[in-house]
Amino acid sequence: MKSRRSIVTSVIMIPLACFVGFPFYYILVNTFKTQADTANHPLALPSHLYFGNYLTVFQNTDLVRSFFNTLYVTTFSVMLMLVIGSMAAYGCLIGKGRTSTAIGLVMVVAFLIPAQSTLIPLYRMLIGLHLVDSLNGLVVLYCTGSIFCYYLILGYMRTIPAEMLEAARIDGAGPFRVYWTIVLPLIRPILITVGVFQTMWVWNDFIYPNVFISSPQHETLILQVYTAVGQFLTNWPAFMTLTVIVLIPMVIFFVFMQRHIVSGLMQGSIKG
Amino acid sequence: MTTPQATSRQLPRSARLLVTFVNLRRRREEGGSIVFLIPIIFVFIALYAYPMGQSLYYSFTNFNGYSNSYKNVGFRNYHLIFTDSKMLAALSFTIMFAVGTTVIVTALAIPLATILNRRFIGKNFVRSVFFFPAIPSVAILGLVWGFILSPLGDGVLNTIIHSLTGLGPVPWLANSTLAQISTVAVSVWTLTGYHAMLYLAYLQSIPSDYLEAARIDGASGVQNFRYITLPLLTPAMTVSWLLLMAYGLTVYALPITLTKGGPGYATTTITQTIIQDGIASAQVGQASALAVLFLIVAGVVVLLQRKLSRILERKYS
Repeated sequence: MKSRRSIVTSVIMIPLACFVGFPFYYILVNTFKTQADTANHPLALPSHLYFGNYLTVFQNTDLVRSFFNTLYVTTFSVMLMLVIGSMAAYGCLIGKGRTSTAIGLVMVVAFLIPAQSTLIPLYRMLIGLHLVDSLNGLVVLYCTGSIFCYYLILGYMRTIPAEMLEAARIDGAGPFRVYWTIVLPLIRPILITVGVFQTMWVWNDFIYPNVFISSPQHETLILQVYTAVGQFLTNWPAFMTLTVIVLIPMVIFFVFMQRHIVSGLMQGSIKG
Repeated sequence: MTTPQATSRQLPRSARLLVTFVNLRRRREEGGSIVFLIPIIFVFIALYAYPMGQSLYYSFTNFNGYSNSYKNVGFRNYHLIFTDSKMLAALSFTIMFAVGTTVIVTALAIPLATILNRRFIGKNFVRSVFFFPAIPSVAILGLVWGFILSPLGDGVLNTIIHSLTGLGPVPWLANSTLAQISTVAVSVWTLTGYHAMLYLAYLQSIPSDYLEAARIDGASGVQNFRYITLPLLTPAMTVSWLLLMAYGLTVYALPITLTKGGPGYATTTITQTIIQDGIASAQVGQASALAVLFLIVAGVVVLLQRKLSRILERKYS
């Protein structure tokens, strides 16, 4: 009885999953076909492996440069966010009651302000600072993510026994020493989880590069795909190849970080 | 880095109050906790409070981004939002998108999570495939779906439909209503697996004795779901709804890449309008009014959502 139900579930769910995953099959298959082959047999497996599309893409786009642009922005902004967020959480933890309340209130206000509502003044501000169309400008904008980091890190930090910090202080360690040598190592798990989420956000983000980056040499990967649509309008297989190449780093990242993403979902729900 | 005091002169009043408050606290406390808070206070003032104050200020002016001879126009910009058909369209589509996505994703993700909580052959495969759309950037998925749904005869979906049924090309993205439905459908496709995983994380924390005990007492599967699983999922719903509504109201990448906001203004979102009017066409005053209104809408939605989930939690526990 039980095994029969399991088979029924499989029979329904596996085709359904294939249906949901179909677009990915479709784009992957067509990267190995010639244009004529794609037009005539869009869904079939390629008759022979054709790598011309990959050549076309690498010859016509500067993927390596935008990869390093994205890497630069992601690395620096995620590191900054984690530092700012964890420092704030620690400051709240050791601060007196009223400081923490005030900061908590400020954070709620920040949490409620959507990025869209501040976009125009931020744009004008970054023009004044010569940070428009610059990778460092993007790093500055992504610092808005420190609020989210603060929230998750504070929740985790509260689980550190106060005696540990107290003991270090009695032994003569100043607040910076405690933060650096005791707190940071202890909160490593949450730093990784939050870091993984923020990396996915920054790497995949479209709105900030789209609004703030205008010259091709500062494009991130996602923006490059967007601007390449026009270029490959008549060559769909090449465009699909571009998307597949751009997806690879994120998929690799996901495969290695899957465990942390699942635990992050739990964290998020526990925080509720 | 500029200290908060140095910038305080150009700040709006609320931010200045905050700075004074922080300074007061600093004098009183010598424990050094304030030092750790300076970076985030700086982020808050520079990237949240000050720009928000400016948005509010510009929303009452006819500032065009260049000329400094702008003047106070009172509530005219706000009035314009409700008479300008383009802005109204953006407002209504964004709200429809947010509500539609939230409702449909929830309706699909909870059953999916309960199924994924069972044991069956190929479960890991099914789970991975459903989750996969959460990994790539939404912008890329929008572009790919744009090719699949292409209204021309050579769009993949239209090719398939034609070869199966012989029907002519369906204008998936060229007809206003169909384009709106397609946008919501693609966003449901990208989000359902992720939210199912969120619910699954919660389901796995429900002790199996509960369901076992209910089954021994003769509860049916439906009763089990209705009286045990669903109530225990309400905390997860709170999180999921908040994420979905926040995503839906701030959506930008998906409609831009899928339809560019068209046909006409059918799938134009608030964010797109703010960017186009405020940055590209330099109607800063009007776009700022929309930005402020958007903040209010977002705030109201968050409050309503909290209230709703509190009612649900009280009802079920």
